[in-house]
Amino acid sequence: MSGPGQPHEPPEWRRTDPGPASAEPPDTAGTADTAGTAGTADTAGTAGTPDTAGTPDTPGTHEPGAAHEPGTAGPSAAAPGLGAMTPLSPVGRLAATVARLSREVRAAQAEAEGRALIELAKGILVARLGCGPAEAARQLAELAEQSQATPLEFAVDVINQAARDRMSEITDAFLTATGADGGREAAEADGNGAAAGSAAVRLRSAESRALAASDTQAVADALLEQALRPLGAVAVAIWAAGSDGSLTLAGSAGFSPAEAARWRYVPPDVATVARSGLTERAGQWITSLARTGLPSVGRHQYPEGGRAAVPAGTGGRVHGVLEIAWPVPLAPQPPAVVRQVEALAELCAHTLETYTPPPGGPEEPRVMPDAAELMDLADGLHDPALVLVPHLDDAGHLADFRIQHVNKRFLDPAGRPRAVVGGALLLEAFPMAAGDSELFQSVERVYATGEPFRARRMNLTALVDQVPLSATADISISRHGNAVLLIWRIEDETARLASLLQHAQRLGRIGGFEENLLTGEITWNGQLFDLYGRPASSAPVPLEELAAHSHPDDAVAIGRFLRTLLHHRRPASAAFRLQRPDGVTRHVRVVAEPVLDTDDRLLVVRGAYQDISAQHWTEVALAATRDQLAHTEQQAIERNRLTLQLQHAIMPPAQAPLRVPDLQVAVRYRPAETEQLVGGDWYDAVMLPNGMVLVCVGDVAGHGIEAATSMVVLRNALRGLAVTGAGPGQLLSWLNIVAHHLTGGVTATAVCGLYDPARRTLRWARAGHLPPVLVRGPEAAPLPLVKGMLLGAVAEAVYEEDEVQLAGEDTLLMYTDGLVERRDRTVEESLAQLLSTARPTPATLDQHLDRLLTYSRSDTDDDTCLVGIRVG
Amino acid sequence: MPIAQNPLSVEVTLPREDVALLKVEGHLDVDTATEFRHHLANQLHHGRRHFLLDLSEVPFMDSSGMNIVLRVYQEARELPGSVHIIAPTPAVRRVLDLTGVSITVPVSESRDEALARVDAGQTGPEAPGTGAADG
Repeated sequence: MSGPGQPHEPPEWRRTDPGPASAEPPDTAGTADTAGTAGTADTAGTAGTPDTAGTPDTPGTHEPGAAHEPGTAGPSAAAPGLGAMTPLSPVGRLAATVARLSREVRAAQAEAEGRALIELAKGILVARLGCGPAEAARQLAELAEQSQATPLEFAVDVINQAARDRMSEITDAFLTATGADGGREAAEADGNGAAAGSAAVRLRSAESRALAASDTQAVADALLEQALRPLGAVAVAIWAAGSDGSLTLAGSAGFSPAEAARWRYVPPDVATVARSGLTERAGQWITSLARTGLPSVGRHQYPEGGRAAVPAGTGGRVHGVLEIAWPVPLAPQPPAVVRQVEALAELCAHTLETYTPPPGGPEEPRVMPDAAELMDLADGLHDPALVLVPHLDDAGHLADFRIQHVNKRFLDPAGRPRAVVGGALLLEAFPMAAGDSELFQSVERVYATGEPFRARRMNLTALVDQVPLSATADISISRHGNAVLLIWRIEDETARLASLLQHAQRLGRIGGFEENLLTGEITWNGQLFDLYGRPASSAPVPLEELAAHSHPDDAVAIGRFLRTLLHHRRPASAAFRLQRPDGVTRHVRVVAEPVLDTDDRLLVVRGAYQDISAQHWTEVALAATRDQLAHTEQQAIERNRLTLQLQHAIMPPAQAPLRVPDLQVAVRYRPAETEQLVGGDWYDAVMLPNGMVLVCVGDVAGHGIEAATSMVVLRNALRGLAVTGAGPGQLLSWLNIVAHHLTGGVTATAVCGLYDPARRTLRWARAGHLPPVLVRGPEAAPLPLVKGMLLGAVAEAVYEEDEVQLAGEDTLLMYTDGLVERRDRTVEESLAQLLSTARPTPATLDQHLDRLLTYSRSDTDDDTCLVGIRVG
Repeated sequence: MPIAQNPLSVEVTLPREDVALLKVEGHLDVDTATEFRHHLANQLHHGRRHFLLDLSEVPFMDSSGMNIVLRVYQEARELPGSVHIIAPTPAVRRVLDLTGVSITVPVSESRDEALARVDAGQTGPEAPGTGAADG
């Protein structure tokens, strides 16, 4: 340790204030030492500190020939002058006596601390060598003698080796830097027997006392006496940083009690020296307080003096500031000194970590929300938010932040699932955070100082498959307890793209719309009114009424589009022929997407129409060419198309309304989605010669052309039979015979009703089919299950009949099981669910049926028939 | 496709020389009906006249499954023979009632009950028109 001197490192100014300071190092070095003595005289009376630069190495050790760099403010670079106080005056004599007495007291204290250090080293040796305390003491003495060090120095050496902490590094660096002094000091330490001989011992003594001290005040005393006076400093203040940015004077030494009391609390946002030190990681090194104009404790005492304000932090978190006052302007300090002060600040941090402001002082919440509460908070935010907790490396330094939690709104810019990002380290998950965006640095600073960080339009970069993608976001970072909340709001894409979209819409002849399904509010852009051929002042057409504005043959495509969009809540598109009021037909494609609210309810539908008329005919031409090339395939398609056309011919998807007084009749047919699955569903609604209205739906088992043919037979047979005026049970009995004698032995189900407009009664029977549903007011329920075998299974069958009395506004529905068939629940459950979806009962029967088709939850790809009558 | 998801399992045992007991497991629907049909045709070919269909492990049956039951019913009736359904699940029972098939094809709670009906020569509700169908 106290080896031969080494050349000093060249001065490397960590931080300098503007001013000529660096140009005059020799002067300042000299005055600093002088002032060190003068300062103590001023502070006589405070906390047992009146000593004349206290260290035995001060005046006599100055060797003019020593290889000192001019700028070194080393402890031994002292000047002989004693300042204003002369020993000739009575007061001076008294002061000298006091100084002598306190020097003796101090020597005793130092000795006690030295003993503590030796005991500590002995303890280490006991553990290392596995010997007893007596043996350890002997070893220590022997080894010290061998290495020609004092027992105390050797003890510090042992402790340093054992600790391998930051303090050791600092000590080593310091000793290296002041090597020449160290060697000499060691020799002198032997000579005068004083304990605090070398810098290493001094630092360790400070640490030992600081760690033993129960409060920051004691720490302040220890620091000033043990470590700072040798640097020429006269006073020290330890500030505790509040989470609100305020500073509390947790301990001080060298300032008058009155001054310290005046500065006991500095509210947030007040610019002081300590505050400027809080936000700069390297701290503030101020040449002269007067030049900065910053207020601080003791400014009137040392108006021209230098100051250092260094953040006191552990593990990346700043707990406060260590402020050191010099009586005279301070030259830039060599790195060793800077590092020493930083080490001392870290010492303070350990005490500040547990610092509680005295009662009656400014209160701040001591109960910090923990990370769990913060996660709840994050989940309640509408913007993406991350909860970060510090991640320390083995040495206890802040290395990174762990992403403790990502809230529900979080969308990874790189598209990774939330679970992948949650739990990862910030820099691992977002390596670019350390880059130009300085996001990581901001988080680090907020964590350190507790000062929230807000930025607008910060540029964030994310790596997506090694490709950096940038986004502009508003950022908010704040510290809560031991965690950091990071919120970002990606700049509203909608707003940013609005103008771009406008142009695209105009060029692509696209009409945009948005429908709010809760309020019924519909917004169209101007282009869409043009596309529809309607004046901009007219009311927009709701999506649900789209079919009424399109070619009848496109009703199925539109129905499917609405079903995908509104029921399945998936983006959907459809092409159809828009029939404009001016008689022009345009081929239009509509694309739309649902917008769900947080409860997954459908809130808004937005989308666009595009006029594809030109494109459409190109496609038709291309399709024709393709058909010629793939002749065989075309034949198969043709067959399906013919079947479909046959079905359409017999059963148009919607039928012209039936005119019956006081009765609405509506029918719907939705083919299976796959063309190959041409089904055998049928419906009928017809006025009979006797004034009765026949309503029925039926379902031939199976698919394909055979099923469709049988359907035609049965439907026409029922129409013919009904003319006889027979009741529904008899009609089904006859229909069963027809079905049974059809070739292929088809089976079918059907439900058949005869409505008497005069009596408002419906007489009905069923053949293996689901019974009709009666919707009356808010209630909807199937009629009782009368007995009836399905058609075609047996040669003869009898069918039970039932009659229901209807009232005004009653709706009666007949349907095939394509509407409700699901494997995971009964038909009744599906039906109840469907009917509740269709509530409140829409104004017209047509709308009611449309809505039922749209929201049907069937999971089979089957065709569906629906017949409804509404009385009144 | 459902074939892979819901494989049909049909286990055939012969309680009597002319009685085939088919224990069915899986969905009886458009995807599995043909396989079920082949099992029944095979037993018909081997001269069985009475068919006991244990549907206690059939959670779902659609019209395709129903048609297979009706076909074997018609074929058995001409032999003459009979078809009995054993212990249908509530969902299947519901379909049988809805389609009126249970009017024609007797439903037994257990295999022994069905065998007793075969032995008694009672094929359930007799010819249509005489049974419960009269309202």
